[in-house]
Amino acid sequence: MGILTEPFMQRALIGALILAPLCALLGVFVTARRMAFFSDTVAHASLAGTAVSFLVGLSEPTPGMLVVSLLVAASIVWLREKSGLYHDTIMALLLTGSVALGTVILSRLRGFRGEIHRVLFGDILAVGMTELVLAALLLGLVILGAAWLLSPLSLIAANEDLAHVAGIPVRWFNYGFVVVLTVTVTITIRLVGILLVGALLVIPPAAARLLSRNLRQEIWTAIALGAFSGTAGVGLSYVGDLPCGPSIVLLSITLFFVALVTSRFTGPNSARARASQP
Amino acid sequence: MNPSPAFTGPAVEVRHLNVSLGGRKILRDISLAIPPGELVALIGPNGAGKTTLLRSLLGLIPIESGEVRLLGQPQLRQVISRIGYVPQRLALDTGLPLSVREFLALRQPGTRNWFWRRRGDLDAALPPIVQELGVTPLLDKTVSTLSGGQLQRTLIAFSLLNDPAILFLDEPTEGVDAPGERTFYEVISDIHRRHRLTVILVSHDLSMVHRHASWVVALNGRICCAGAPDDIIREDALKEAYGLHVTSYHHHHGHTH
Repeated sequence: MGILTEPFMQRALIGALILAPLCALLGVFVTARRMAFFSDTVAHASLAGTAVSFLVGLSEPTPGMLVVSLLVAASIVWLREKSGLYHDTIMALLLTGSVALGTVILSRLRGFRGEIHRVLFGDILAVGMTELVLAALLLGLVILGAAWLLSPLSLIAANEDLAHVAGIPVRWFNYGFVVVLTVTVTITIRLVGILLVGALLVIPPAAARLLSRNLRQEIWTAIALGAFSGTAGVGLSYVGDLPCGPSIVLLSITLFFVALVTSRFTGPNSARARASQP
Repeated sequence: MNPSPAFTGPAVEVRHLNVSLGGRKILRDISLAIPPGELVALIGPNGAGKTTLLRSLLGLIPIESGEVRLLGQPQLRQVISRIGYVPQRLALDTGLPLSVREFLALRQPGTRNWFWRRRGDLDAALPPIVQELGVTPLLDKTVSTLSGGQLQRTLIAFSLLNDPAILFLDEPTEGVDAPGERTFYEVISDIHRRHRLTVILVSHDLSMVHRHASWVVALNGRICCAGAPDDIIREDALKEAYGLHVTSYHHHHGHTH
């Protein structure tokens, strides 16, 4: 059972077991608030973050990735409030700008060209103790936050005006959510890569949505699907000698289609469910 | 659901309010005082600023100049727990499969931890108004699947959960059929009478306003006139507000044409 005895596999499995359900939980609100493109943009900013880390001589890219991704997230919010431009215009600008900057810097640095591939597609060996500690801290923060703040977060996702009149500081909640989402995305990139991190945020909640009659069901189902596809994907990549990120994502997509077919028969929108409605 | 016993002034007081949106002046020099316990209808043509006035009272859009006081307080956050709000054509996000039970728990005092509680516990915590509005049979339904009338009753129940002193409703009958609209005004009138709360609603239906409102404010960028329905819903007053010839709104058989 090399999969459980190899230290790098242990780290990858623990990382997947923490990060995939975390992404799924946040993804419930990311999909409800149509923020998938936002998470994609801060993910791509990590390429510039990686390049900057190596440019300034850091041996680990994670700190630079976090700083640049948070700067890009703040820039999206600031430009949206100040420029009057649409969200997707701003995000396309920052996404392409980050990728271009990161690629140019990495192409000029000797010995780091291979990093582009690692950052884009993830690397099972890239999950180190730094990432695990950060992921564990983040998990603790999100569990505590969800326990206290699930109601306001859900009301904001349902309707911001109602949340405002209920006395919820909507703007501060939005800022907090953006920070937690950005940090989660950045750490998860080490496992699955920039191009595929969005899948962990979107696919488990989308599959869960098909099978759920209420928000509680959707959250639990998304977490379970995320945990399964994350850990089983890491296992699949070890057994089949496949790239880790794509294995996790392909497994998630398979689960999504299983959910799609299942929902036709037993989901909240199935003929049986409609027939039983009063 | 009673007005604050400590406060006897106007429930809503507006002084020289000016609001612009996108560089366009929407409201000019609005001043009004609404006594507690009134059922007030804001009427006026499309683009008159009815919704803008309601939203600026609630702090949902910034005001350019002037002053707004709710229950005597200039800061909304000081009275926010005493305000109820039913928004216009609510786009409750269909991406979030909130059941009606969960939706009500988001506002119901004491059910912040709804995620971990049993359905029976949540149902037991609901106030009688939920039953009275006929929302109880809807508790297991997803909010996004409700009909216009069901959603409206759910929203009214939601807005009353915090025991408000003032209830704001923004074009609440939009998307509701004619019988549903009649029922709505009867329900609001009944709640207003029984709970003696101040109700402020934006409406297009002059017949229903005439029948149920105790005070009418006619708006067209500024306040054209305000007073009892019999005084305001007259041809000359409406002509000033709407800028056209308006007749045939007094019906004897309970509907509009």
